[in-house]
Amino acid sequence: MPASDPPDAIDDPLTITEELVLLLLDDRAAFLPVPEHTLESVLTGAVLMDLAFAGRIDTDLESLIVTDRTPTGNPLLDRVLGAIADRPGVTDARHWVGLLSGDTAGIGDHVLGSLAVRGILAARPRHSPWAPPFTFHDHAARREIRQRIGDTILTDDIPEPRDVALISLADACNILADIFPRREFAARDDRVAQLRRMDLIGREVAGRIADLEREILQALQARLARFRRALLALSAVGVLAVLATLLSPPVPIPDRFGPSYPQLLWLEGTWQEWTGYLLLGLTGAGLLAGALKRVRPLARGSRHARWRVAHTLLGLACVAALFAHTGFRFGANVNAVLMSCYVAALVLGAAAGVGINGTQHLRRAGIAPGRWRQWPTRLHIAALCPLPALLAVHILVVYLY
Amino acid sequence: MSRTLLAWIAGVVGTVAAAAIAASWMLVGGDRAPLLIGATTDGHHQFESACETCHAAPAFADAAEAEAALNQTCRDCHEDELRDADDSHPRSRFRDPRMAVYREALDARLCTACHVEHRPEITRPGAVTVAGDFCVACHFEGEQDVRAARPSHADLAFDTCASAGCHNYHDNRALYADFLVRHAGQPWLADAPVHGLSARHTTRERDLDNALGADEAIAPANSLADTAAVADWAGSAHAAAGVNCAGCHAPEAAEDATPDEVGTQWTRAPDTAVCTDCHAPQASTFVLGRHGMRRHPLVSAPRDPRRGLEALGLSALVPDAVSAMLADPARPERMTVSEARLPMRSDAAGRVLDCGTCHEAHAVDVERAAVQACASCHDDPHTRAYFGGPHHERWRAELAGDQAGGTGVSCATCHMPKVTHRGEVVTNHNQNATLRPGSKMIRSVCLDCHGLGFAIDALADDGLVTANFRGEPDTHVESIDWALRHAGPGTGF
Repeated sequence: MPASDPPDAIDDPLTITEELVLLLLDDRAAFLPVPEHTLESVLTGAVLMDLAFAGRIDTDLESLIVTDRTPTGNPLLDRVLGAIADRPGVTDARHWVGLLSGDTAGIGDHVLGSLAVRGILAARPRHSPWAPPFTFHDHAARREIRQRIGDTILTDDIPEPRDVALISLADACNILADIFPRREFAARDDRVAQLRRMDLIGREVAGRIADLEREILQALQARLARFRRALLALSAVGVLAVLATLLSPPVPIPDRFGPSYPQLLWLEGTWQEWTGYLLLGLTGAGLLAGALKRVRPLARGSRHARWRVAHTLLGLACVAALFAHTGFRFGANVNAVLMSCYVAALVLGAAAGVGINGTQHLRRAGIAPGRWRQWPTRLHIAALCPLPALLAVHILVVYLY
Repeated sequence: MSRTLLAWIAGVVGTVAAAAIAASWMLVGGDRAPLLIGATTDGHHQFESACETCHAAPAFADAAEAEAALNQTCRDCHEDELRDADDSHPRSRFRDPRMAVYREALDARLCTACHVEHRPEITRPGAVTVAGDFCVACHFEGEQDVRAARPSHADLAFDTCASAGCHNYHDNRALYADFLVRHAGQPWLADAPVHGLSARHTTRERDLDNALGADEAIAPANSLADTAAVADWAGSAHAAAGVNCAGCHAPEAAEDATPDEVGTQWTRAPDTAVCTDCHAPQASTFVLGRHGMRRHPLVSAPRDPRRGLEALGLSALVPDAVSAMLADPARPERMTVSEARLPMRSDAAGRVLDCGTCHEAHAVDVERAAVQACASCHDDPHTRAYFGGPHHERWRAELAGDQAGGTGVSCATCHMPKVTHRGEVVTNHNQNATLRPGSKMIRSVCLDCHGLGFAIDALADDGLVTANFRGEPDTHVESIDWALRHAGPGTGF
């Protein structure tokens, strides 16, 4: 395939990656709430699909190979193409999705820049860290893509291969419910599942692109599923641990004179002080990890996944430290409010983890969470808001009285 | 400004504001009830919002200083009571350096070693917060090994020492060995059961030279129009002692004041302060018990917010009007029935406890105050079982004149017994003086009529106590038996 025109050519058709980014942007040109790790993975998958559509890579039963090293003229695609060609030891698409997601930093930023060159986006004049760096200059392209994808979902017509690819990638991000919130779309989950599975590409696209695309999608889904399964398991453990806090009776203090672990832990001042500060430290670290995974410069690519895992593990550690500090006792008055907020934050955080990472499982069970999947996260954050003040009061009361 | 930034600003401002309000409650003034970390014990809940009563150390004192100050406040209120009880484990004993090894197990120099406030989960009867077998701390081995020193105790566990009716940690006035031996073999009921001090009080000679009649009452005309009140007064001990209306309603008036002069200083509903002017011993014990402890002089006064602000260096920044808003909420000066933790009659809920609650204002009927006044508020099985029971029957017989004074047993006979004060017999208004543990009642009350063995057994039988002693004890405490068996010289028990 000959090299395409430079990306700043206005008339050059949008790549799959660019179309996917346009689907992922909300009206303020901010990315929809998709975990950064997922975002990098699906963008990597989109780049591989672009290379496949451009005839630069191919696949057989076991490997992904470069068939044509001629540059495409798109710097992003050419950088990925070069990376694949330079590492012949890595063979299948699954590994490439994994490798490129970690190594190819800033795909999203590159595509945003490309869309700005095309005149679809415009740099925000007074950029602040709280606002997206770009704003929409021309909504037409985004509207056209959404219309096209929407029509494909709502009708039973034979879809275009690019649209199937886009829908598959968008579904991997769980953003279809955000893009198409109307009720008629909620009833088309079966159609989306059918599009994900269908082998239309094989019929419509020459050569082995269909196989390659299927491999890319499978690799992408496997990678995401593995990560989600791990977080889902951790979150489920968190939910169970917190429910144990709520449902179990307090561990009794032995009615025998002399030191015992329950007595030391829950009655003795020094132990209470140490477990309290341990809990405070873990809580602070957990809050920090939760905040940092939302700060884009610090949470690119696999780093975002690490923050998420750290946040989840710290949440679990907080449950253990909470047990050590309280023995599941709620206390009275301000302590009871603190404990209630803390337990609510833990259980909602764990539920948010289950909701976000278990969406696919819920769908398979016939439950379409739609926008509701964001509510545990919002309530988790809401329950965290009073904690600093309550913790300050709790500590002050201990030292004053 | 984005919503995220706004949310962050709101969160930070809200956090700082909430923490500042709570810090103000703690350091300056305000209602601290929401900060209580756990329910206060029955003995202290009436003044739980007066935190400084117990938490006397300065703000942010180190742990040792705070603990020392806390224990000092315990002693300030309870030391006299412990001294009167001939405390078996006085603090002074544990200050001896030779007791260091025992202090390692349980530092008995500190009240808080066994009594920790705001810990309802581990609070046992008597506000004890250590396990029931706490005696094991010191009497398990060495010189104090009670099982080696007393063969009768060889097979006993430590969890019954203080619960079976044999021993108390502090007050063993009726339970120590020599006393048990001296009072062994007494019949369950004396031949002529009578409470000596009650009899002395009932039969005391009264000086009636100054007694007043209804027609001698001096009061404003509209008050004299209340003939029922005047009649009640005329039949009261006040009239018999020559205390005219002005004695309470116009205490500042001269003794020979005319009705008009009395009228100018007349107070329609006098404060209880006029009672304490004449009845100081009763008043001083009233504030020691559950009925009047809100007026105990050692209960801390509401904080002055200006002082708190000065300590923080903020007094110049905060206007007086604002500092007044930070003041502690007004505290009720008296206990109310609705705040009681014992079962109470619903129709008494709003009643406020002061002298007039039990002693009607004009009749000041001590007989009513001894039974009916109690039952007009208390509504527990023990109280209900009193009526028609053996003690009540004797009380009715005494009131009817069928039996001599002091032979009846009223509520007050046991719970507010007569005591001597500077040679006079007065009523101890601290209802807690003979309660918890029940054996505190044995010497001052029970032994006037009953034998020690019966009294110990009866008080150890919770069912019999609930039934207000209708029947015989199901429990037998073997302490007298063991004391007798091993009372020989050179033998332990």
